[in-house]
Amino acid sequence: MNVQTPLVIETHELSKTFNNVQALKPLDLKVSQNTICGFLGPNGAGKTTTIKLLLGLARPTGGSALVFGKDIEKENDLIRRKVGYLSQDPRYYDYMTARQTLRFTAGFFYEGPKVEIENRIAETLELVGLSDKADRPIKGFSGGERQRLGIAQAQVNYPDLLILDEPAASLDPIGRKDVLEVMEKLRKHTTIFYSTHILDDVQRVSDTVVILNKGVLVAQGPIEELLAGGQGTTFTLTVKGDSAAVENRLQSQPWVTGIVTISKNGKVSWQIRVSDPDLAEAQLVPLALAGGGVTVCEFGRKAQNLEEVFINIVEENNHDNL
Amino acid sequence: MTTYETSLISNRTLGWRMGLRNMLAKENFAWWRTRRWWIQILVAVLILNGSLALNLRDPQRTSVDLEAINFLNTSALFVPILIVILTQDSILSERHSGTTAWVLSKPLQRPAFILSKLIAYGLGFLMTWVLIPNIIFYIQLVAAGRVGLSIPGFIGLIGLSFLNLLFYMTLALMLATLFNNRAPGLGISLLIAWIGPMQIFARPMEKYVPWLENILPWKLISSFGEPPLAGYLALGADLPTVVPIIATVLWCVLFVGVAIWRISREEF
Repeated sequence: MNVQTPLVIETHELSKTFNNVQALKPLDLKVSQNTICGFLGPNGAGKTTTIKLLLGLARPTGGSALVFGKDIEKENDLIRRKVGYLSQDPRYYDYMTARQTLRFTAGFFYEGPKVEIENRIAETLELVGLSDKADRPIKGFSGGERQRLGIAQAQVNYPDLLILDEPAASLDPIGRKDVLEVMEKLRKHTTIFYSTHILDDVQRVSDTVVILNKGVLVAQGPIEELLAGGQGTTFTLTVKGDSAAVENRLQSQPWVTGIVTISKNGKVSWQIRVSDPDLAEAQLVPLALAGGGVTVCEFGRKAQNLEEVFINIVEENNHDNL
Repeated sequence: MTTYETSLISNRTLGWRMGLRNMLAKENFAWWRTRRWWIQILVAVLILNGSLALNLRDPQRTSVDLEAINFLNTSALFVPILIVILTQDSILSERHSGTTAWVLSKPLQRPAFILSKLIAYGLGFLMTWVLIPNIIFYIQLVAAGRVGLSIPGFIGLIGLSFLNLLFYMTLALMLATLFNNRAPGLGISLLIAWIGPMQIFARPMEKYVPWLENILPWKLISSFGEPPLAGYLALGADLPTVVPIIATVLWCVLFVGVAIWRISREEF
């Protein structure tokens, strides 16, 4: 993480206990300005609790947190002026239309001029693709339309920080794509901190990732670093011929930490996890060819996806806690 | 920090008033720009003025003060139920649906949230459950040829009716912040509303806790063994006591204070 970039969110041992159950264990979280930070974790990991603490909707039982350098307990009024928030299950007043909802939301932030406020509302409706439904009561809105309205109300005030709790959870693939596009458009103006279960989306738009499991922060950092690796790099090697001898040679290398073998169509493919990627890159093919009798069909570094990284991290953390 | 260039004028109100004006505008919208207002008026007029209309059909009944007392008793019986249900619902339905958490994530102070309900519902109820039924009540009496209420006395009657309503409204507001479901608030409010005027309870209370009738709003509009205070005002007579009026005002202030204290500690 670039330490020079100002931090928008910074927590110090922030924790929350509900009825003697620790929903959030002491959390040290950092989110830099103008990044899109994906906040990941299984159900019940403490993501929504963290978000509610940052917004002043719940009170911490321990630790502290700063948003824009302001204390979440003592200066929450000032924080909420600069934040847009979309809850996990957004609910609005059903008797209002989308335009009235945005007018009501904008009323918390702006006094006028009226024309400018109406322009801003129209612009926001356009951004989320609700212009044609702007004057319909929300009661008849689909889940996707409500979610779009949720994003619209969250950013009608040009927030410096947009906090989105599962923004794409109830959307179909097209709706998800639209939401991600909106997030991309807002990136240059706003820091976005969003929780989600949809790891493909995180990999597509996020700069940094925070992974929470059972109330504990288990990983935090730029997405490239996370994908590259704390969990070791994996190479794929496919050969045709005497594979048993090759596998023995590979197993005997001290920098090989795990091998998964897949046989198909007379070829043998290995996924080789290594502790020293540079050494592995230089030596794996010579090792395979050393005894003769084999042909290397394919070799390369296996691209990890976030889902694998996430599952590995969470499972390791669960195992450590047993 | 990157910020948008905008000519919008930011709302800079801080402290307990932060968000009050906007929230109040929204509550007034819900009262006066939906069908709520005319439904309330319709129900109020049907219950309160409807019962008076039935009484006025009886040629034997000619006493203005009797009609006034009956009208006030009907109000004392029915108004608390509806006020409590509607006021409780204004807080609980929003808490359960999640809209309270939503608005509190915006620049809105929690006291302003409660005060917006208090002001908007207070004005709404004043208009729909006090002013309009009472004005129709006056017109009904005049139309039936039973004029006898002085205008200042009539205004005093309206004032005490509203104070009685405010007691149950603020009580319901407080109970809705203390409990997460409707039953306790409704039960407690109705117990208070009905226990005083009921003869079965009135006698033991008179014997064991005689001061209770003076510190609760029963005497304002219910005939509690003797004419209600609003009845004295309506007929231009001097009030025998002002203690129930002062006590009711103090209860209202206390209930609002507790409601604000409670919502300020609430987690969403």
